[in-house]
Amino acid sequence: MTTVVKKTPIHKRLKDNVDYLKSRLDIGPFNFDVGHRDLKMLGKEMSIFYSNSLVETPVIVALIQNMNFITDNHNGARNMFDLLKTHFSHLQVSEITSLDEVVDKMLSGLIILLIDGENVGIVVDTRHYPGRTPEEPDVEKVIRGSKDGFTENIIENIGLIRRRIRDERFRNELLQVGERSKTDVCISYLKDVVNPDLLKAVRSEMKKINVDGIPMADKSIEEFILKQGWNPYPMVRYTGRPDVAAAHLLEGHIIIIADTSPSVIIIPVTLFHHVQHAEEYRQVVAVGAMTRWIRFIAIFTSVFLLPLWILLVQHHLLPGNLNFIGPNKHNYHLPLLFQIILAELGIEILRMAAVHTPTALSTALGLIAAVLIGQIAIQVGIFLPEVILYAAVAAIGGYATPSYELGVANKITRLILTVLASVFGVPGFVIGVTVFIVYLARVQNLNIPYLWPLIPFNPTGFYNIMLRRAMPTARIRPSILKPQDKYRMPKQDNG
Amino acid sequence: MPETSGKEDKQGKSLGRIAIIGFFAGLIWGLVGFVEKYLNFSKVGPSLILKPWALGDWKNHLLGEFIGILLICLLSIFLALLYKVTLAKIKSIWMSVLFGFFLWVLVFYVFQPWIPGLETVRELGKNTITTTLCLYILYGLFLGYSVSFEVDSSKDSKAYSNK
Repeated sequence: MTTVVKKTPIHKRLKDNVDYLKSRLDIGPFNFDVGHRDLKMLGKEMSIFYSNSLVETPVIVALIQNMNFITDNHNGARNMFDLLKTHFSHLQVSEITSLDEVVDKMLSGLIILLIDGENVGIVVDTRHYPGRTPEEPDVEKVIRGSKDGFTENIIENIGLIRRRIRDERFRNELLQVGERSKTDVCISYLKDVVNPDLLKAVRSEMKKINVDGIPMADKSIEEFILKQGWNPYPMVRYTGRPDVAAAHLLEGHIIIIADTSPSVIIIPVTLFHHVQHAEEYRQVVAVGAMTRWIRFIAIFTSVFLLPLWILLVQHHLLPGNLNFIGPNKHNYHLPLLFQIILAELGIEILRMAAVHTPTALSTALGLIAAVLIGQIAIQVGIFLPEVILYAAVAAIGGYATPSYELGVANKITRLILTVLASVFGVPGFVIGVTVFIVYLARVQNLNIPYLWPLIPFNPTGFYNIMLRRAMPTARIRPSILKPQDKYRMPKQDNG
Repeated sequence: MPETSGKEDKQGKSLGRIAIIGFFAGLIWGLVGFVEKYLNFSKVGPSLILKPWALGDWKNHLLGEFIGILLICLLSIFLALLYKVTLAKIKSIWMSVLFGFFLWVLVFYVFQPWIPGLETVRELGKNTITTTLCLYILYGLFLGYSVSFEVDSSKDSKAYSNK
C-alpha cells in the first residue's frame, strides 16, 4: 500500500492554525484533555498546544516563565522564533512544519508552540506518562539478583536495559504500529552481533503490520510476526526482567519492546529457552545444574506422568517390581480416564478462580479447594486417591515450568496423550508421542528448528542446556543464531 | 598453506561432530528402547542386537540390554557417517523419517530370519510393532535431521562469519 498522505502545512496566520486544530480535534467540551493556551509576547501572538493528561505541568510552567525571561532580556529582538528556539531551557526541542505532525505530537504528550507569522512550529518534549515505578515481575522471581522489572513505559524499559549495556553498538529502533493507537514499538539489538538477515526479516514484518491498534501490545505484535496458527507451543519468550533481556541481547537475540506492556519479547527462541530460569545463573554452577535438572524432571513429569500411569494400570503393563502401583482395588465407580479429566478440570478451574480472587479471600479459597478436592471427593467415591496424587504432581510440574506459556501448552499435550493412552493403549500412546515430537521438530521459528539443540542435535548447544556453563568458560555465542561475532570474549591486547 | 589446512581442520571437526551425533542417537533412543521394553510396551529391547550371536546367558538380562545400547551407539556412529555421504544433502525431515522406517523394515523383515528369537512381524503383536516402528522413526529423525543440519550449517558458516 503506497498511498501518499497529503500533509497540511502550518499556515502563516496563527488564527488559521488555531481554527484548523480546534475543528480537527474538537478542543473544548467534546475533548477535554486537549487544549491550547494563547500568549502574547513582545506584541506577537503565539499559542501553545498540549494534551493535559500526558504532560508534566511544572515543566511547562517553568518553560513559560523562561519564555518571559528571554523576551524581557531581548527586548526589541526581531526574530521571535529563532530567539525562543535557541534559548528554550529544555533538552528536546525540534521543529515541525505540518499540522498533521502537530496533532500527532500533541497527542503523544509533547507541547507545540506556534507563533503568528511563522510556518514552522517548535516542539518541546514534556511528556509524562502515567505509570508505576519498576518492581520485581511476579512470574520471574529470584532469590538473589536485581529486583527491578520492566514497567508499562517504553522509555523506562529501554533505560533499564541501557543501564546494563552501555555499548555504543547497542541500537534501539523506534517505530509506530497501529493506525489509530500509534503505539511505540522498539527493536533492540547489538549492531555488530545480531544476524543481519534476521534483523531485516523482523523489520520488514513489523512494517507490514496494518491494524488500527494493538492494545495487547507485545502479544499482538508476536501474532503478526510469527504466524503460528493452532500450534500451542510458545514461539517467543517473554520476560519482565531487564537482566534476562540484556543477557539475550549479548547472545545475539533481538528484543522487541512495546509501549504499555511490562514484558518484552525475545526472538528467536527454541523450546529450550522456555525451560531456563534466571535463578540458575545466580547460583554456583553445580547448584545451577542441579536446579535445572530438577526443573527438567518436573516439566517431563507434567507431560508424561499421567498418560504413563493410566496406560500402565489400565492396560496391565506394570513390570513385576512396580506392581505395587495402584489402584489395587477395582471397586471404583467412575472410569479412570473420566476421573482424570474431572480432576484436571477441577485444578484448572481452581487456578482460574485463584487468579481472580482478591488476596483477602484467597486463603478461604485455598481451604475450600483443599478440603473439597483433596478429601471429600475421595470419601464420597468420585476420585481414587491415586488420581488426585498423579494429577496434583503433574499440575505442580506444570507450575514449576519457568515459562507460563510452555506450562499451558504442556497441559494440552498431557490431556491429549492421556486420552490416547487410555482409549488406544500402547499404540495410541507411542504414536501420539511420535507425532508430537515429529510435529515439534518440523516447526521452524524464524528459520530456527524449534527443538534445537536436541533435534537437530548439536553437542555444544546440548551441553549448555544440560549443564549451565560458568561465565568465564562460555566463550561462544549460540551457533544457531548465526551471530556476526561468534566470540563473547573480545580479543585483548596484552601489550 | 594456512587456508587449506584450516579447511581440513574444519572438515575434521565436522566429521567428529557427526560421530558424536551418531553416538548420542544410539544412546538416547537406546535408553528409550530399554525403558519401553521394561514397561512391557514392546517384546524387544536394545539387546536385539546381541541375538544373532551365541553369547552367555547374560545377554538376556539387564547387562545384555546395556551392552546392547553400547553396541547400538557404535553402530550409530557408522550409520551417521553413512547418512552423511548418502542422504545428507536432502534437508527435509521426512527423508530422515523415511530413513528410520527403512531401518525398521530392514531389521524386522530382511534380517529377521537371521535373528534367532525374533518372531515374524505377524506374530509380534500390535504393541511391539507400533512401539518399535515409532522408536525407529524417531531414531531416524534424530540421526538424519541432525546430520543433514550439521552438513548444511558447516557449509554456509562462512556467510555470517565476522568480517
